[in-house]
Amino acid sequence: MGVGDSEITIPKHSRQRPTAAGFALRAAIWLLLAVFVLYPIARLFLALFLPDGQSGGAFDAIARLADAFADRYTRRATLNSLLLASSVGLCGTALGFLFAFAVTRLGIPRIAKAFFSSVTTLAFVSPPFTGSVALTIVLGPGGLLPTFFGLPDVSIYGFPGTLLAETLTYFPLAFLTLATVLAAIDPTLEDAARGLGAPEGRVFRTVTLPLCIPGLANAFLLLFAESLADFATPLVMAGKTFPVLPTQIYLQITGMYDLRGGAILASVLLAPALAVFVAQRRWVGVRSYVTVTGKGIGAPRHTRSGILARGAILGTITVVTFFVVLLYATIVASSFVKVLGIDNSFTLDNYRFVFTSGLNSIADTLLIAVSAAIPGTALAVCIALLARRGGWCGAALEFVSLANAVFPGTVLGIAWLIAFNSGPIVLTGTMGILVALCVFRYDATGIRTTLAALRQIDPALEEASLSLGASRLTTLRRVTLPLVLPAVKAGMRSLFTVSMTAISAVIFLVSVNWSLLTVRILQCMTELMFAEAAAFSVVLVGIVFAASACIDLLFRFLCPER
Amino acid sequence: MFLRRVLGRGLMLAAIAVLFASASQAADTLNVYTIWSERYATEVFRAFTKDTGIDVRFLRFSSGELLARLIGEKANPQVDVFFGGIADAFVAGKKEGLFERYVPRGAEAIPAKYRDPDGYWTGVAMDPICFMVNASFLKKNGLDAPASWQDLLHPAYQKGLLMADARTSGTAVSRIFSLVKAMGEDEAFAYQKKLDGNVRQYTESGAGGALPIARGQAAGGIFFVVDALEMQQKGYDVAISYPKEGVVYGVEAMGLIRGARQPELAKKFLDWAASPRMQQIYEAQKINLIPTHPEVRIQNPALDMSGVNLLDLDIEWSGANRKRLVDRWVSEILK
Repeated sequence: MGVGDSEITIPKHSRQRPTAAGFALRAAIWLLLAVFVLYPIARLFLALFLPDGQSGGAFDAIARLADAFADRYTRRATLNSLLLASSVGLCGTALGFLFAFAVTRLGIPRIAKAFFSSVTTLAFVSPPFTGSVALTIVLGPGGLLPTFFGLPDVSIYGFPGTLLAETLTYFPLAFLTLATVLAAIDPTLEDAARGLGAPEGRVFRTVTLPLCIPGLANAFLLLFAESLADFATPLVMAGKTFPVLPTQIYLQITGMYDLRGGAILASVLLAPALAVFVAQRRWVGVRSYVTVTGKGIGAPRHTRSGILARGAILGTITVVTFFVVLLYATIVASSFVKVLGIDNSFTLDNYRFVFTSGLNSIADTLLIAVSAAIPGTALAVCIALLARRGGWCGAALEFVSLANAVFPGTVLGIAWLIAFNSGPIVLTGTMGILVALCVFRYDATGIRTTLAALRQIDPALEEASLSLGASRLTTLRRVTLPLVLPAVKAGMRSLFTVSMTAISAVIFLVSVNWSLLTVRILQCMTELMFAEAAAFSVVLVGIVFAASACIDLLFRFLCPER
Repeated sequence: MFLRRVLGRGLMLAAIAVLFASASQAADTLNVYTIWSERYATEVFRAFTKDTGIDVRFLRFSSGELLARLIGEKANPQVDVFFGGIADAFVAGKKEGLFERYVPRGAEAIPAKYRDPDGYWTGVAMDPICFMVNASFLKKNGLDAPASWQDLLHPAYQKGLLMADARTSGTAVSRIFSLVKAMGEDEAFAYQKKLDGNVRQYTESGAGGALPIARGQAAGGIFFVVDALEMQQKGYDVAISYPKEGVVYGVEAMGLIRGARQPELAKKFLDWAASPRMQQIYEAQKINLIPTHPEVRIQNPALDMSGVNLLDLDIEWSGANRKRLVDRWVSEILK
């Protein structure tokens, strides 16, 4: 690979005796993961495989699994899911990379940078239900775009529509990961290549891109898992010709009243997730991606890329931006009129409804998202720090912390309901269970972003600090943490956003005491009150943007020297 | 310094969050799950609170999610009553042992076909299947509102119909039941194969196709009348009609949860809800459901079912055949 110092290709962390504090931290994290990741999944499978304590249930479950896979439709759904998840992983990572590259490397004006960043935030909020309705209004047969291009009968339902919708929803996760990785690449490495006479294209291919591999791998894994767990997008977009597994599972449980059958199918999803996880670890492997060396930190220079490349990148992201803005414009327009397209008279009634009958749910949702984002971010940093050390222990930690993210929300929600409604730990009906669910299901982005950033740091930096007599704790807080702070911030933003917009698992854990914004949107949709649902969505988007600004302030407040 | 500051300030913020979070809980309220819309449920429970002084807290879900939730909570139930769920869900839940047998006082006045013979649930409303077609689509194609299942096979509807997916939607299951009852099973599936050519998409929820049809992005579909009337009340120009061969109707029921924490309050509610008083709320509050209690009279002609060919559905039969018919629909129509 020829990147970085050859002497430090394998970041070997000083093998000191683990301190008591370090040991306690590790034990605490494993305990939390055991309670909130392994225990609910175990309870679910216990309830499914051994109903009423009969051991015959296990054979029955295996027989049902075999039956399901003897069915051509299920096999097709499984293959479709893998195809979709890989495509979303590739396209989303590529798109996220383009956005990240444009924002960090192309030297576009500050205002344009801020604009493109907000577009990714906007796309990521993607309020449930209204987002897909907007997509149908814009892209469905007879929708705005097909009509505009004179093709009113073209249908995008099926693979292309699902891929498009999922890529647009999840590429911001790749953007968050890759923007921090790209920003942290030491420009002197690229300058060295230029100094040796390499043209820009070659610098990009042989220096910039390889250095992004941990970021790319983490982004791909994240998107793959998200797509594998997403049943809602295919439900709306996949139509009848493109069945996928998560949707089949959802249909089995909520449509056929067959909780057992659905959850047995869901256990299959762990296999591809594990396979991709192992593959990404192989790919990222033991190479060094160290670019934060402490030597010659200069401001990242802008690529003097060719006009063609520049135009292609900016063109692509402009088209995507236009599309995202069009989607949200539909939602905003719907929220200010009586019935979009039928009775376009201006009204504020929808917002009056939101701020009277919906005020409770706004407050509850905000409280839960804030309560999840803070401990969740701390947890993500701890897990990333421990997992960074590699070894089977680190790998296990990394995978377990990801496991919750690959189950479709419906299955996970039911697992949590079974686990925490009876038995030794009873949490249902409390706010705690909603907060815990957000933390342990949606922390994956924070962990992966921080991990990618940690792999960029030269261990020599930390060793220098240690050899100067600083303790490991001091090194951590004075050297390591400040360097990964942008990644931590990105993780916190995404955790907050998903906590505000999550629905599939949460629906099984909301209680009469806690009402949530997304549940209200769902209610509006079932009552065919699209205008009110749109107004709720606009408020949701507003809150996420306000919160992003607050998180920026928070990080300045916690760490003013930066 | 860095870490201490982060920890110190972080803890400060966490403490504030915890203070906010310690909300109190009230006792002596009835907890209910429902699949009725927020507006419908609110009207009913508000009237109950006004009559009895008992507060009601409720959550609403789709029937599949609700049933999954009840099964998950079986060891420690969180609610007392399941109100306004379609009878199918009760039949499935009865088998899972989710309900307690209770016949509300005065429920004998409700015809037996709306009640569980074993007394586990009581039907308080009914809701037939109907056709809903965009009115300007009809005008453009010079068609009348469909009056027979065969009318939907007209080539003008090609790729213009939105139907609900039988795996997720009670509407779709009732549509299939209607066809089976009206034509016989094999004939019904042969018809659906022909109809499939005119279907653009099978939507997840029963009402999911209503908005595109009302907006003119699709021609028409088959809905529960409650959803179709809701679109009309919103101001969309849609035509509602019924096939002469007949349709089945959904029964909206209620029942007592086994292991309820407040069984006495729950029984009080069920007694109240089985009375004509509750079903009179429907018309007064624009709840587009048809009462099951013979003493409740309707004025709204749209809810008058005397001219509609309603096919009686044995709920035990539908419970026993539901899965088989949906599986057959998936393997013969969807694939």
